[in-house]
Amino acid sequence: MDKILAKNDFARWLEALASHRLYAPQNKDDAWTYELTESPDSFSLADVMTAVPAKKIVFPQREELFAFEEGDEAGYALSELLPREKPTIIFGLRPCEAKAVTLTDLVFGGEFVDEYYWKRRNAVTFVGLTCLKPPSPNCFCLSVNGSPHGTEGLDILLTDLGDTYYVESLTEKGEKLVKAASDLFADPKPDERTQVMRLHGESEKKLRRSLSRIENVPEKLKGMFDSPFWDAEAMSCIRCGICTYLCPTCHCFDINDEVESSSPLQGRRVRTWDTCQFPDFTMHSSGHNPRPDKAARLRQRINHKFQYFVEVWQNYQCTGCGRCITLCPVGIDIINVVEKVRDHAS
Amino acid sequence: MPANVYLPLLAKVISVKEEVGGARQIKTFRMQFLNGGFTHKCGQCAMLSMFGRGESMISISSSPLVKDYLQFSILKTGRVTTAIHDLEVGSVIGIRGPYGNAFPIDAWKGKNVLFAGGGIGLAPIWSVLQTALLRKGDFGELTLIYGARTSQDIVFKDELADLRKTMAVHLSIDVAEPEWKEFVGFVAQNVLDKKPSPANTIAITCGPPIMIKTVIKALKDLKFEDDQIFTTVENKMKCGIGKCGRCNIGRYYVCKDGPVYSWADLKKLPQEY
Repeated sequence: MDKILAKNDFARWLEALASHRLYAPQNKDDAWTYELTESPDSFSLADVMTAVPAKKIVFPQREELFAFEEGDEAGYALSELLPREKPTIIFGLRPCEAKAVTLTDLVFGGEFVDEYYWKRRNAVTFVGLTCLKPPSPNCFCLSVNGSPHGTEGLDILLTDLGDTYYVESLTEKGEKLVKAASDLFADPKPDERTQVMRLHGESEKKLRRSLSRIENVPEKLKGMFDSPFWDAEAMSCIRCGICTYLCPTCHCFDINDEVESSSPLQGRRVRTWDTCQFPDFTMHSSGHNPRPDKAARLRQRINHKFQYFVEVWQNYQCTGCGRCITLCPVGIDIINVVEKVRDHAS
Repeated sequence: MPANVYLPLLAKVISVKEEVGGARQIKTFRMQFLNGGFTHKCGQCAMLSMFGRGESMISISSSPLVKDYLQFSILKTGRVTTAIHDLEVGSVIGIRGPYGNAFPIDAWKGKNVLFAGGGIGLAPIWSVLQTALLRKGDFGELTLIYGARTSQDIVFKDELADLRKTMAVHLSIDVAEPEWKEFVGFVAQNVLDKKPSPANTIAITCGPPIMIKTVIKALKDLKFEDDQIFTTVENKMKCGIGKCGRCNIGRYYVCKDGPVYSWADLKKLPQEY
């Protein structure tokens, strides 16, 4: 159901949602990231592409899985450390990030359900903000089945109309947030409906980057596995891993034990983000490495996003946020790489 | 399968056998669950947990027909396997699994089975071999071609001596030794030397990646069809359930969709293992 909320009433809406933890984009140490809002007064809905995506809220960079403790009879006591999340709202999510969550949902669901992910994810209500102008010069969501006003994965989509927000409740979860302060929300007038449709239409024309005609890329990649192309493209890579750590769809992780006491043995098993761009990601203990150089690792990143994921889940594992382009220290540009794959003589 | 996919079950070590000493130590462990447990299929793996050290994916080398314990033969090579090698009878370890697909042995009734293994690569196919021996009437002729770097590096020495009474066993070592009477050379060369017939035969191979690749080539030279050749692949793993992202060969995760592949399937994938 569509509603109108006056910006002047936004703080009152937040008050009505006080039982939730509220995340919104904030500038912290010169980088935009989604942070917990201390109080509704300090809340602002910044129209930005954060450096760190919202995936950190549903899939934290470090997560404790269970604690282990050596017992008296040479046994161990194991205690699950499942997250107990308070209801959480993420405000100001870009549509590409919400779509990214729907992709990580696929990975953490299926035959083996990852409870850690789902306990966090199910506690979140996603409130997105239409990108009336692209929040990054490298936005290309339209090319990968997304849109600046896309609703996939969102519970509410807000569109800025100047003095008011146009509020689209997309799910029951979203509806609940509106009902928490229903007196603040008015029905949209016909001209407001027209205005939002016009703005949505215009938003699509403002993207500065695109990646067109990529339907054949998955098939093309198959034939290019052994091509020297990858050496050339990966030449400048310094294997920092930023492209994957800051990608809203990348989900790879490591599992390690952290020891707190050695006698009796006590510690925690934790998982942390990991990346296919690190050499030891795939290195066997024998020293054999199926992906021995940065060319093989760039090839994996592009193939995973534009071939393997497509084959398994019928969607690109990329939502066009452009972070990996903007933040790559050596200028590797996923759009250029994929365009070259597309245009490669087969 | 417990609801929490990362939480191991506890098991205790009931026997430890030193298979190989020297620089590439291998020990065989038998483990019994303390509470609960699981049954596995031939070819499946389990994630062994050394609390404080981490986890390592190891293939289950005992037959599913043996219900009293799970057997693992483990090369001491990294942080976790080094810690496992220090375990004694009675030590407690974590196990989660079983993971992966399995050898389709029920489809092989009446067929001859050729096993071609190298080094510790005998362990992942040992469960099939043991099952085939226990269900002898179900299969035709069984043959083992197995090689190691040196005579010292051969695993299951006692069992191999027994096996010779019931099936053909052809051993090899990479470099000649004074006392060695059998084949000298790589496993693929021994396969070509023994010339097993592809007629009504399934070939299973496992070993280091280079050995797998050369044995498959040898089998092809001997006119084995792609769908008569099976292998079991290893890659570095952390989650075991297709989420942590590192063990994939193309679109398939070895932990979940493998580790067993027919050559007909594996040849279509990027050769990245």
